[in-house]
Amino acid sequence: MSHLPIAPVLVPLVAGAVMLFLPRQGLRRGLGVAAVLAQLALALALLAQVADGTTLVYALGNWPAPYGIVLVADRLAAWLLVTTALVALFALLYAVRGDDQAGPHFHPLFQWQLLGLNGAFLTGDLFNLFVFFEILLIASYALLLHGRRDPGRTRAGLHFVVINLLGSSLFLIAVGTLYGVLGTLNMADLAVKVAATPPESVGLVRAAGLLLFGVFALKAALLPLYLWLPAGYAQATAPVAALFAIMTKVGAYSILRVFVPIFGPGAGPLADLTGPWLLPLALGTLAVGSLGALAARGLRRQVAYLVVASVGSLLTGFGLGSAAGIAAGLYYLPHSTFAAAALFLLADLIAKGRGGLADRLDPGPVIPRAVTLGALFFVLAVVMAGLPPFSGFLGKVLTLKAALGHPLLPWVLGVVLLGGLCGLIALARSGSLLFYRAGPTNVPAPGPGLSALAPVAGLLMLILGLTLFAGPLTDLTSAMAGDLLAPAAQIRAVLGSEGQ
Amino acid sequence: MEALISVVIGVLTALGVWLVLRERTFPVVLGLTVLSYAVNLFLFAMGRLALGQPPVIANGARGYADPLPQALVLTAIVIGFAMTAFVIVLALKARAELRDDRVDAEADGPGEPGEEQP
Amino acid sequence: MTLLLAILAPFLGAVLIAWNRRRGRLRFAVKAGIATLAALACLGPDIPGPFVGETLVWRLPWVPSLGLDLALRLDGLGLLFALMILGIGLLVILYARYYLSPQDDMGRFYASLLFFMGAMLGVVLAENVLLLLLFWELTSLSSFLLISFWQGRSDARTGARMALTVTGAGGLALLGGLLLLGHIAGSFELSVILTSGDAIRAHPWYLPTLVLILLGAFTKSAQFPFHFWLPNAMAAPTPVSAYLHSATMVKAGVFLLARLFPALSGTPEWSWLVGGAGLVTLLVGAFIALFQHDLKGLLAYSTISHLGLITLLFGIGTPLAAVAGVFHIINHATFKASLFMAAGIIDHETGTRDMRRINGLWRWMPYTGALAMVAAAAMAGVPLFNGFLSKEMFFAETVGAASLTRHGWALPAAVTLAGVFAVAYSLRFIHDVFFNGDPIDLPKTPHEPPHWMKVPVEVLVAVCLLVGVFPALTVEPILAVAAQGVLQGPVPPHDLALWHGFSPALWMSVIALIGGVLLYTGRKPLFALSSTWGGRWSARAVYDVALATLFALARWVTRALDSGSLRRMLALFTSFALVLGYGGFLVVPAGGAGGGGLTGPLRLFPAEPGDLAVALAGTLILLAAAFAAVVLHRRRLVAVILLGAVGLLVALAFVTLSAPDLALTQLSVEVVTVILLLLALYFMPQQDPVEPVRRWGWLRRARDLTLAGAAGLGVGGLAWGVLTRPFESMGPYFIANSVPKGGGANVVNVILVDFRGFDTLGEITVLALAALGVSAMLSGLHLYGPRYDAAGRPWEPDPHPAIMALLTRLLLPLALTVAVFVLLRGHNLPGGGFIAGLITAVALIMQYLANGVAWTRARLPGDLNPVIAAGLLLAAGTGLASVALGYPFLSSTFGHWHLPVLGDLELASAMAFDLGVYLVVVGATLVILVGLGLVCTLDDGEDRR
Repeated sequence: MSHLPIAPVLVPLVAGAVMLFLPRQGLRRGLGVAAVLAQLALALALLAQVADGTTLVYALGNWPAPYGIVLVADRLAAWLLVTTALVALFALLYAVRGDDQAGPHFHPLFQWQLLGLNGAFLTGDLFNLFVFFEILLIASYALLLHGRRDPGRTRAGLHFVVINLLGSSLFLIAVGTLYGVLGTLNMADLAVKVAATPPESVGLVRAAGLLLFGVFALKAALLPLYLWLPAGYAQATAPVAALFAIMTKVGAYSILRVFVPIFGPGAGPLADLTGPWLLPLALGTLAVGSLGALAARGLRRQVAYLVVASVGSLLTGFGLGSAAGIAAGLYYLPHSTFAAAALFLLADLIAKGRGGLADRLDPGPVIPRAVTLGALFFVLAVVMAGLPPFSGFLGKVLTLKAALGHPLLPWVLGVVLLGGLCGLIALARSGSLLFYRAGPTNVPAPGPGLSALAPVAGLLMLILGLTLFAGPLTDLTSAMAGDLLAPAAQIRAVLGSEGQ
Repeated sequence: MEALISVVIGVLTALGVWLVLRERTFPVVLGLTVLSYAVNLFLFAMGRLALGQPPVIANGARGYADPLPQALVLTAIVIGFAMTAFVIVLALKARAELRDDRVDAEADGPGEPGEEQP
Repeated sequence: MTLLLAILAPFLGAVLIAWNRRRGRLRFAVKAGIATLAALACLGPDIPGPFVGETLVWRLPWVPSLGLDLALRLDGLGLLFALMILGIGLLVILYARYYLSPQDDMGRFYASLLFFMGAMLGVVLAENVLLLLLFWELTSLSSFLLISFWQGRSDARTGARMALTVTGAGGLALLGGLLLLGHIAGSFELSVILTSGDAIRAHPWYLPTLVLILLGAFTKSAQFPFHFWLPNAMAAPTPVSAYLHSATMVKAGVFLLARLFPALSGTPEWSWLVGGAGLVTLLVGAFIALFQHDLKGLLAYSTISHLGLITLLFGIGTPLAAVAGVFHIINHATFKASLFMAAGIIDHETGTRDMRRINGLWRWMPYTGALAMVAAAAMAGVPLFNGFLSKEMFFAETVGAASLTRHGWALPAAVTLAGVFAVAYSLRFIHDVFFNGDPIDLPKTPHEPPHWMKVPVEVLVAVCLLVGVFPALTVEPILAVAAQGVLQGPVPPHDLALWHGFSPALWMSVIALIGGVLLYTGRKPLFALSSTWGGRWSARAVYDVALATLFALARWVTRALDSGSLRRMLALFTSFALVLGYGGFLVVPAGGAGGGGLTGPLRLFPAEPGDLAVALAGTLILLAAAFAAVVLHRRRLVAVILLGAVGLLVALAFVTLSAPDLALTQLSVEVVTVILLLLALYFMPQQDPVEPVRRWGWLRRARDLTLAGAAGLGVGGLAWGVLTRPFESMGPYFIANSVPKGGGANVVNVILVDFRGFDTLGEITVLALAALGVSAMLSGLHLYGPRYDAAGRPWEPDPHPAIMALLTRLLLPLALTVAVFVLLRGHNLPGGGFIAGLITAVALIMQYLANGVAWTRARLPGDLNPVIAAGLLLAAGTGLASVALGYPFLSSTFGHWHLPVLGDLELASAMAFDLGVYLVVVGATLVILVGLGLVCTLDDGEDRR
């Protein structure tokens, strides 16, 4: 039997544990990079193996579903794993230049953050999903606080932790109710049982399902639960913020994973549970995110708000509910992750060149290597604002095209286009403030070296790849959307997996 | 019995939420603890209640309590413990660095990073 | 293929130039020229095609699922524009080499210019409308770079941002329109769209589609009321204005009108929207142009006016009007580009563009003057110059359109008026600059520019003349082909000649010429008038206000929502969850099934009265304690103790409800938590200070109370609802398989270490992470413990009473034995690694508390992280062992051994796993508690300042 599905979980787990025996930072760095590379290779191998639509079901402890915990590795999971590994790689490459020494234990925390993410993408068991959420959350708490002493960051961290603890309680209540009524935790089994909910319990299950949606909405930073994001991301150390670009995607992914196959079209009395909620909230998120980007007075905060906006675009696709919409969102997902990560790193480089002004959007001195950084900013701004010719534009157009038949078309069209305009205006303003209205430089600081620019450039290359190979990649995401909307085969694959 | 446990869960939840919404970090921490009691009881109750039934396999037992929720609650308790420990220390850190044990900055809104007044 | 290369050539040139940025103006100019010529060469072989009526279409699949392919087409219209873009591009490249000064960053200039050239080629050669839009937006972006070339100047920055905002917004609208268009036509390919005009015009979405597309075209072609960005774009270097703002980019809008002419035109909506916008723009532009004192300002507004003229022609909608429109596109490109270049020369040689200071230049630069005169005459529509021909066709078309409607005479009258103004401002451009007395303190003494700077102007002016005199020989062929490309069908008969007899059009031209001269001679009072109201109201002002409002709105909304308050976040989250929960339960979606009541059908088993009494008593105590804890939460120590009591009662509840494992866990966790809280309390205020009374404070309390109450009711209700329902649980499976397959009688423990061991692995990872996070937080943290307690008594100087120390040291071995026992029996009886770990941890913590940190540390390993790591690796290792044996991760096995003391012991591989759990728990708990303990000793006792 193939142990490939468990590997992306074990590698970071073991790597992180071994690091605790390695006192020297150098060793930890080496091991960390190696581990991330390994995860990338594994994720790609997994994707290659399931690309044809097969579902790898891995019964942990050899206990059959639904009693034991199973990992379910399909195209969708692999897609997220690859995205995570890639963004993690470049965030780490940026971090090993020194940010990882701003506090203890950066590398084990980083690895276990990845452990939580990978596990959340792979598991097929609702309570196990809760466990992995807790892993990735507590790791993110620690990583968010990583860095030199900064009261602002501490407060942001406190807020982030408390709100998420409340979220975890809600998660348990929702999962508990579902178990209490339907008697199972396995997602595939839930899909079967939910469709056959006894009429007198439909209300309870609907309530539980929506509570679960609330939890995921918090993780995804959906309106009105996005408020933890701007402060948190703007305060985090650059590589951490870059890695966090994937965090909101976990919520979005869970919404997809749980609410399309389990509470989706095939859910009988509970069909299309989140239908009336998701799309309007997503559009609202897009709106507040774009306005926030206009209002921001610091570059990192502006990027953070653009992340909120991108969550809106992403979930707009998902909220359309159609295969085309979900496929569009899934294509947009890695794009928005890479773009946000690259911008967070670039914002850090810019801030470092401006002395006391840091990333404040006020005219300041000419920053070292202004031409290179300016060019990078211009391109990344185009990418982030969803302008041609990059993947953001393609993702946006895919979403709009998917909305053409939808009753809310005017709203989708209006909000998405105006949101894009706001992003464009905001970034144009920032760019001309940071690079054009620059006075004489006061401190002849050495500009960022190649090692600092490489991660940003690397992420840019990824976006270029997404653009050039949009054809095959969109075919892949369409296939994923198909799997989600017609889960019967996968459910059979999971529940059919007998133990010894 | 069911009524009692439901009442306990409900009241504990209400108290927990109330405390979590307080202004200082310490009651917030207490609130999270109370809330975790409530949630653990809730999760436990999801396996239905069983009085005086053997927890371990034994001959001639009338029946057994549903063991799965118990296992889940155990996991939840441990995770809750880890989180409580973390948030307690974080509260201390915040108090030490912000010289204040309020959860919010005194002046709400303006004064937030990146949100200075024009 | 060659089409793609033609588009790529400029882009590649841009990259190359941007790559090596060595100085030397000529080198850059040559490179740029080569790139342009390369593009022309790639285009060359395909040029004959359109002349024999072929439309060349070339396709490379890109995003099939989106219907977006790299599909290019070459027909007459595209060919005409491509030639203009490349031809005038060459002249501009040559001109710019002399215009820009050595200080300017030529590399950046030429790179941006080629970037724009490629994008523009893409627009005119696209077959797929989405591809067209893609290049369309690229032109906006590149024009941003070009306008802001002199980035030090604020007018350049604002001008560039304005252009980008307006044209970018238009582009987004266009995107929407094209999506709708493609949806209606069933394809984004022009060859399909252009042939399904009737279906499009009949479709209910026709009007929104049209409006969105026109928004794109009008913003790009600076049609009223979006015209204001063009004059502000004059901050760009003059070569840029000559290229983008006369010949190419602003023509993209009218190109789009021409391109989609067969698909969209021919409806009243089209005529009114397009014709109306064109007419207004024509008049407004011509009028304002006359009163500009800035040379380039005058040209900018005249450009606006001429674009309006072309738009109006397409709005009229007859085939012949379309031909005239194409013709004027050509003519305007030639004379306006040359005029901009002339203006650039004047600016370059005199150092100013203010016509109030520039006078009588004829004396110094007669040659340039002559060139400018020809171009200006063409602009004014004087016979023998190309402008006259297209203008006369235009006049004729307006007359034709007039005959269709009542009050039709208004249209010819209006356009004649515009003609009058056109003549006037053309006249001013010449007279005011080259004659009209002497110059007023010019920065430099003017002289003729270097020869090569004049060449581009000469070429263009020559074209104006040739076309003006021999239209049939020169322009007719390409015009016919282009018109064919526009109409996608036969071109109506038209003869390009100077003399058509005494037609109304001729008279209109005459009136325009005479009126223009009169108007100019009588200009003085008008200028005085304009200087009083000039610029009081302008579209620019509206734009500024709109943008300011947008930013203000954004700030307001953002600050209103994102107040950075945790309490608000929590309240929002709670409310949202309540809405979802209650909504989900109560609201029955349309067509959805009914919810069913809260109380389920299950008959509750009657509890023994005794049990009930006990339970009732326990419940009451528990609730009382909890309430007290909340009410007294301001007195923190009391609250902590009461909380501990609540925890114990919860544990008791677990015992009563047949969950001894939970009870044990809850108990031990409770102990550690309380210790933690007490430690923390040492650094915190012993009680909440009295809060200052706030306005609305009561409101907030009321809100919190409501939320808390609703949440309690909700969760309690949920519990009740579930408890009163039957369900078939998975329990029986575990109970059945626990002994035979799991090798343990304690089902809960077997689930933890075997059935769901993966959860437990994650759970201990969380513990380990908590330990890491805590030690990270504590590193470098300074906590100041109080000298005195709340009542002002000094803290006990000797924190470690001897008796306690002694007792705990005696207790330690006992506690450890218990721990081992609990660990080993865990698989079959209540217990297990977690509980054992906590017992051990507590026992060790007692040592710290009783004997002090120094004493204990001497007897314990300093760094406990390896312990945690070892535990994790052990747990993971047992799982991997099964992998090595070919079973899935965490598969367990077990066997029986007979041990003297513990009796028949059953050793399952799962117990190694449990040992790992034990290690992690001990390590993590100690790291957390000891870490906190260490920090507190930092500033403890006497050594605290």
